[in-house]
Amino acid sequence: MSRYWYTREGMENRANRFRQTKPQPVITMDYSIGQHDFVNAGKASGDIKLALKKIGVDSAVLRRVAIACYEAEINVTAHAEGGLIHANIFPDLIQIIVTDTGPGIDDIEQCMVPGYSTATDYVREMGFGAGLGLPNIKKNTDALFIESTKGGHTVLEIIIFYE
Amino acid sequence: MSKKTYFHAIKLIPEKCTGCTKCVRVCPTEALRLRNKVVELDASRCIDCGKCVAACSFGAIETYADDLQVIGKFAYKLAIISTSFAGQFGDGISYETAKRGLLHMGFDAVASEAMVTEMMGLMIREYVSNHPHIKPILSSNCPSIVRLIQVRFPSLLPNLLHIEAPMSVLATYFRNKICSEQKLDSSEVGIFLIVPCVSQVTAVHQPEGTYVHLEDGAISIGDVYQYVMANIKEIQADTTPMEVYPKGLSWAISGVEAEEVNDGSIRTMDVSGVHNVIDILHNIENNQLGVYDYIVLNSCANGCVGGVLNVENPFVAISRIRHLMRNATHKDFHDQLFIDLYRQDRFNVIPLEPRPIMALDDNIKNALTKMKQINEILEKLPGLDCCACGCPSCSALAEDIVAGKAELDDCIVRMRRLKETNRGE
Ligand SMILES: Nc1ncnc2c1ncn2[C@@H]1O[C@H](COP(=O)(O)OP(=O)(O)O)[C@@H](O)[C@H]1O
Ligand code: SF4
Ligand SMILES: [Mg+2]
Repeated sequence: MSRYWYTREGMENRANRFRQTKPQPVITMDYSIGQHDFVNAGKASGDIKLALKKIGVDSAVLRRVAIACYEAEINVTAHAEGGLIHANIFPDLIQIIVTDTGPGIDDIEQCMVPGYSTATDYVREMGFGAGLGLPNIKKNTDALFIESTKGGHTVLEIIIFYE
Repeated sequence: MSKKTYFHAIKLIPEKCTGCTKCVRVCPTEALRLRNKVVELDASRCIDCGKCVAACSFGAIETYADDLQVIGKFAYKLAIISTSFAGQFGDGISYETAKRGLLHMGFDAVASEAMVTEMMGLMIREYVSNHPHIKPILSSNCPSIVRLIQVRFPSLLPNLLHIEAPMSVLATYFRNKICSEQKLDSSEVGIFLIVPCVSQVTAVHQPEGTYVHLEDGAISIGDVYQYVMANIKEIQADTTPMEVYPKGLSWAISGVEAEEVNDGSIRTMDVSGVHNVIDILHNIENNQLGVYDYIVLNSCANGCVGGVLNVENPFVAISRIRHLMRNATHKDFHDQLFIDLYRQDRFNVIPLEPRPIMALDDNIKNALTKMKQINEILEKLPGLDCCACGCPSCSALAEDIVAGKAELDDCIVRMRRLKETNRGE
């Protein structure tokens, strides 16, 4: 099993406090993602985006959530055997937890390198596989956690503060 | 939330409204509701796309454009015609004749949007190459789309092309030219746009991002058409020479502008129809279309030929414009004053402010509480989005209930189902 942690500089205290205090989310949203279901891919991130617009999150922050969430959704669609997206909305941040049941990632560090991709020909034909998804998730996220087992599950947690 | 009052070029006529809800269902910003049996407009949400006007079969949503009389008070009057104008007239009436009709209406001179579309192409290409970090750049010539982005996609405001639409660019140019050539004060020069849609009327009366208010009114293409047809004999006998720029007419038709801006080095796309545009804006928000440099967005299907103030069927208009373009010889518009104004950034617009209508409350905590209440109400609603309650969807009703503007009992489907289960028990 491998793990990957990243926290944006200056966000360490807030991220730690959130993880330690484990507050209750005000709103939760759940979506299941089908393997290679490119037709519906984007639905979860679309709904989450709409919810954040309705609570009045700043538009620049909204854009970051949209990009990170969409890339995570596409990764489950393209690389995994299906999974779940669970969004927890708090008054000051959004936490998005994406889980799937496999095939898992062997070397997460390598997957974070821009341009690295193991996308199959089929996925490339669908217009994905530029190897920029995970780097873009990192770029737009305040705190990122990935845990994966080769041949097993992958969990990806995204935290973005509203300000 | 902002208490600004908004001008709109549509007017609801309650006496004619039958309560059919067709308009409520087509509105892309959920600005319409049926309350107390008549339709109501939320002015802060309306983007003047005109979809409701086209949807209403009872004439209960009227369009507004300026009356010809408004030109009277100016010493010198210029009309600037939109590209779609050329597609409105049948085979017996040449584009020159149609244009000449405006002189008969009282204008001293007539210019056309088509004159600068090629220059616009150059300016857009320069803008795109000066802003390589913004991908894609979004066209700003459809006022409805600019407002759509302000209200529903504020995160994409930085992507808008920060250059005025061609007719406003021309208004700046001609105001300078006429004042100096005719030795007139700016207040004596009246500049009027001949427009295909209500959003352009609104843009003239309540411009967004302009440094100086340049246009004095907007007259509907339909009104000009009627005038020309009523006085056709007289206008056809007139032989005053008229300059036309048929090659530039392409901007009226969706798909052509993007092709023209694309010189091979930049990647472009054209999207038309407000609901298609919304889908594409969602994709852009997710960074899905970052390979594109420039995307043309038009609220009307097929482009400005689809505007509600035109008279001709858009497909007929397209075929006529294509015919004109095919048989025309190319004419350059090259003018030093124009280039100077461009180089002095006189065609630029001020970065636009968002017009956030989506937020349930000014305060995030309160908004979250409301959202929770909305979700609870949604559980009780049938999810049919049938519009019988007068709201465009079940979630819109839930929002209205929480905002204190509607009641759960407004959902007649739920009432009926409750009655049935009660009876069954
Ligand atoms: N949920 C996942 N399950 C398995 N492998 C994944 C998952 N997400 C990403 N990967 C791996 O990480 C690589 C890089 O991902 P990413 O940066 O999004 O690029 P791309 O999706 O274009 O390949 C993928 O090619 C894949 O090998
Ligand atoms: S596409 Fe053209 S006609 Fe239609 S609303 Fe926009 S500017 Fe007006
Ligand atoms: Mg990816």
